[in-house]
Amino acid sequence: MPVLWLILIIIAITTVGFLLGCSRAQRSVNGNVRALHSLPSYYGINVGIWTAIPAFVILGLWLLIQPVLIESHIQQSVQSIATGKDVTFGLIMSDIRRVADGLELAITEGGMTLDEIQSNDLDIDTLLQTLNSLGVILGTNVSNSVLKSAQEYQKLSAGGNILMSITVLATMITGLGLALVKTNKNFRARISVEYGILAILFFAASIAIMTTIGILFSLAVNTLEFFKLYSAIDFFFGLEWAPSFSGRGGSSSLGVIPLLWGTLYISVIALLVAVPIGIYAAIYLSEYATPKVRAFTKPLLEILAGIPTIVYGLFALLTVGPMLVKVFGNNTVGWMDGGTAVITAGFVMGIMLIPFVSSLSDDIINAVPQTLRDGSYGLGATQSETIQQIVLPAALPGIVGAILLAASRAVGETMIVVLGAGAAARLSLNPFEAMTAVTAKIVSQLTGDSDFASPEVLVAFALGTTLFFLTLGLNVLALYVVRKYREQYE
Amino acid sequence: MTDLSADMPPSFKQKPLTISDQRTRARNAAEKRFRLYGVAAITAGLVFLILLVFSIISNGLPAFKKTVIAIDFKLTTEQFETAEAALLKTRVYSDYFTQTLTHIITNSELNLEINSRSIERIIGKVGGTLRQFYRENRNMLNQPVHFDLPAASRIDRYFKGTFSRDGITKENRFIQVEDLDLVDALAEVGIIQQVFNWQFITGVDTGVDNPGGAGIGAAVLGSFMMMIVVLLLSLPIGVAASIYLQEFAPKNWFTDFIEVNISNLAAVPSIVFGILGLAIFIQFMHLPQSAPLVGGLVLTLMTLPTIIISTRASLRAVPPSIRDAALAVGASKMQAVFHHVLPLAMPGILTGTIIGLAQALGETAPLLLIGMVGFVARYPDSILGGFEGPNSALPAQIFNWASRSDAVFVEKAWGGIIILLIFLLSMNIVAVLLRRRFERRW
Amino acid sequence: MYDIPPSTRSVVNGNCKISARKVDVYYGDNHAIKNVSADIADKTVTAFIGPSGCGKSTFLRCINRMNDTIDSAYMKGEILLDGQNIYDSSIDPVQLRARVGMVFQKPNPFPKSIYDNVAYGPKIHGMVRNKSELDDLVEQALRRGAIWDELKDRLNESGTGLSGGQQQRLCIARAVATEPEVLLMDEPCSALDPIATAQIEELIDELRQNYSVIIVTHSMQQAARVSQKTAFFHLGSLVEYNDTVQIFTNPQDSRTESYITGRIG
Repeated sequence: MPVLWLILIIIAITTVGFLLGCSRAQRSVNGNVRALHSLPSYYGINVGIWTAIPAFVILGLWLLIQPVLIESHIQQSVQSIATGKDVTFGLIMSDIRRVADGLELAITEGGMTLDEIQSNDLDIDTLLQTLNSLGVILGTNVSNSVLKSAQEYQKLSAGGNILMSITVLATMITGLGLALVKTNKNFRARISVEYGILAILFFAASIAIMTTIGILFSLAVNTLEFFKLYSAIDFFFGLEWAPSFSGRGGSSSLGVIPLLWGTLYISVIALLVAVPIGIYAAIYLSEYATPKVRAFTKPLLEILAGIPTIVYGLFALLTVGPMLVKVFGNNTVGWMDGGTAVITAGFVMGIMLIPFVSSLSDDIINAVPQTLRDGSYGLGATQSETIQQIVLPAALPGIVGAILLAASRAVGETMIVVLGAGAAARLSLNPFEAMTAVTAKIVSQLTGDSDFASPEVLVAFALGTTLFFLTLGLNVLALYVVRKYREQYE
Repeated sequence: MTDLSADMPPSFKQKPLTISDQRTRARNAAEKRFRLYGVAAITAGLVFLILLVFSIISNGLPAFKKTVIAIDFKLTTEQFETAEAALLKTRVYSDYFTQTLTHIITNSELNLEINSRSIERIIGKVGGTLRQFYRENRNMLNQPVHFDLPAASRIDRYFKGTFSRDGITKENRFIQVEDLDLVDALAEVGIIQQVFNWQFITGVDTGVDNPGGAGIGAAVLGSFMMMIVVLLLSLPIGVAASIYLQEFAPKNWFTDFIEVNISNLAAVPSIVFGILGLAIFIQFMHLPQSAPLVGGLVLTLMTLPTIIISTRASLRAVPPSIRDAALAVGASKMQAVFHHVLPLAMPGILTGTIIGLAQALGETAPLLLIGMVGFVARYPDSILGGFEGPNSALPAQIFNWASRSDAVFVEKAWGGIIILLIFLLSMNIVAVLLRRRFERRW
Repeated sequence: MYDIPPSTRSVVNGNCKISARKVDVYYGDNHAIKNVSADIADKTVTAFIGPSGCGKSTFLRCINRMNDTIDSAYMKGEILLDGQNIYDSSIDPVQLRARVGMVFQKPNPFPKSIYDNVAYGPKIHGMVRNKSELDDLVEQALRRGAIWDELKDRLNESGTGLSGGQQQRLCIARAVATEPEVLLMDEPCSALDPIATAQIEELIDELRQNYSVIIVTHSMQQAARVSQKTAFFHLGSLVEYNDTVQIFTNPQDSRTESYITGRIG
């Protein structure tokens, strides 16, 4: 039974359960609703919760766990196929999955019967022909052993699906029955329902934790896989980035240092643009600007933060790059060969970061107590002396926090770097040269048809791990500094 | 003090207030200078903004216009049958069109030297359109039909001012200077004209051989599908999580742990969410690649922290007196929250959600990793297919066009940005209006 | 000094230091000060008393143009310091504030070291040529603030780490370090405990030797204890201005009498 149908059935039965619960509660008091502990609808919701939630939980878990179990079951035959050949486990597994899907399709579209599919003498050409006539092209030539595994896969998952449908429906009916039996005038339905809702709320809140676990899990598993194929020391300390695209030979050099260098260089240029402009803008807006100017200028500057990074990427590639070439290119000083360069990406990223620095600094400068300013004015200090010698030193930790947050943004920024910085990994000091960054390489290694078994693809996860911990470190440090600063004045 | 006063200029104390000494003048100059730095910083920010907006508009607007050849065209049944029997069918249709155009030009009062090669060079890819039209509308055979068919992409760029006569060499296979003279003459009599490019808005991506025909419609639909997924998931989950954290969560290490997680996730680079989507949803769960469903899931996880943070702020803004009042009439805590606090916080929650959605709409990097940059040249054939079939998304389509070398695609990319920004702007305006309309002060 | 009855305290009839002429102040639409004229004597402690919101602090802030830092504030009339109108367009408020120092209601030491707090004013006004002069000046100021003995070994500690009373005396020391002629004090003791208040009041009495001191206070007892002249403000108007002894023993206006006997406030 397709999962969609199962879901629709659960929803339908839940609705019925709700109505049954309501009417049963009312009958138990002969229509005198006041005699009930809770409103009738609570009894209905209670029945609904017991009908739907356990069924959905089992459905979800089953869908997650079944493929894992089946795969581990047929793993042995896959290993025997893989031995001695130039293909990896993952590739064969995905072949098997594709053929199994084809088998499933052949049944549902009516091209073949279940017996035909599961018979031992099904041969691959018949299958391909049948599928072809249904308008599905399986593509690559499939070996017989793969077909056998696929047949087993299909059989197991078909059996599993039937078992799942039965289990889910049984759970649902049991839940419905139990909840209906409990429905009488003394049952405290509202309290029971509220516990149910609280559990749902709690589950929603823990999705944040699950996301973090998901990130760590997906990074860790693949990174470890990568370090099995490529030495961690070479990765972290390698000075050369030269992945080979030809095959799965060990000829790639995958050192992270050139990429980190590019990332840091671009980020530093971005901060050199964003920090002075951002801080002076924040000072002007919070200390000098009249309310009218402030109300007009602040939102305009913040537009810069709301523009998607793809727009900045295009701006770097197509406007700023050519503009910089005109100024520094071969026609003038000859420093710059192409529009994509560290300085292009850094400059545009700096523009993007201005509002991050200015908004946060603005808040922080405003949080400096007015009494300090009064104290300084009272001594005859000018406004700029007050700002430079009293306000800014007092706000310094907060501003440092803001800069750290902007730095973390810069390090994790992808589109500007992909479009504006170039693709060559280089350890160079010249800002007019094209370089590349960690994020850009994650994109280039993971886009396209990727096989999760080669070091050239898996390295992206190691890069992701590096990036994740780099930005996490900056964020934690920034939050710590900002919090420390808040405590000072609250 | 006395010894010190002796060292000071004797006039210091009785100095009249109006005469400013050199030091005061220097201090006042420093004050002016400092203020000027501030003005300069603001100006720099605004100049960048203006530059950005200007380059978007000036580069993107041409994408909304296209140059067409507008003529009445007649196809006879025999011609139709000949063409359908030919090997290169669209080529034959193209030839018919060239003939008709040549005929029209010779019969007009234009005094032009006709070179059929020129005409072939100035028309765009018309064969496919003509063939499709006549296969679907056979009743229109043998009678004149008005067609607006695209001119060649170089002619299009010539009209938009990004292509000029300079630099056309005699060896150029695609265009010659005399072609442009012909084009100018045809434009004068209205055979060649610029019209609004509906195809850009409603169409789908095309191959590199037909940049002029590429449209953004399918990508907009893909983004729309993703936003539906994000809205349906992130609003209920975000609100539920915020209610739990703000109203019910006990003060313990686990709650603190959730909060730390949320604030850290809000600052995790978006590309890391792409890695998460690739590894968990595609590699582990085997959900389809390039599907708006997966894109929506990834963007949901990415947007949730933002929505939770703004929702909690809205809940916090509802004064405790409201809760007390509800509790005092015998409502349970859950009822107080769902009947009173939540409705009052709803405008703020919706505003935050819209802003979160706008952020998700413009996000590109995670989509690249889950394969939404593929070449998708058709609309999905069903609603379900729209969610789980391969599709592109607005920013991914823009990225895709920007990385192709043809100048026409670049123009399309800028045009796509205009459409993206129009969506973002309207979402933000809705958010602002919502906030204005329902803003409440306690 | 508490056991000396006010009547026996000598009133030094110094020269007129500050004279206000028909001063009106508005905060936006709010008419905060209405047509106030007063002469304030040199080397005297003048107290401004009155109920909350009567305008006494506003008037005080007019004397060194601190109201300039509030955007909505607007002032009419003139205030003369040594015969010169401080609201004249040619006057630099920065120079004015160096001569008219101010101490605020809440102690507001800068988040810097004690030494830097005091040295800040002399530095920005360029009053010293080298470090040793500055050291002397800081020491003098801290002595005048009656806090040198407590703090002389802790000059590099942060000013925000001191107790409330010490912070306020540090602020007074900071104010006197720029050698002002007038010292404005806006409820300098309201955030302090009684012992710290007593120390500050004692200090105010000593400062009278060198400065014209104007103190805004909520406490009539404090006004009676430290001041020689008292001005009573009510609803933005200066109701009565006379020798402190006169005000407290023989008020001329019925509103003054109601206030000091506790019927309005």
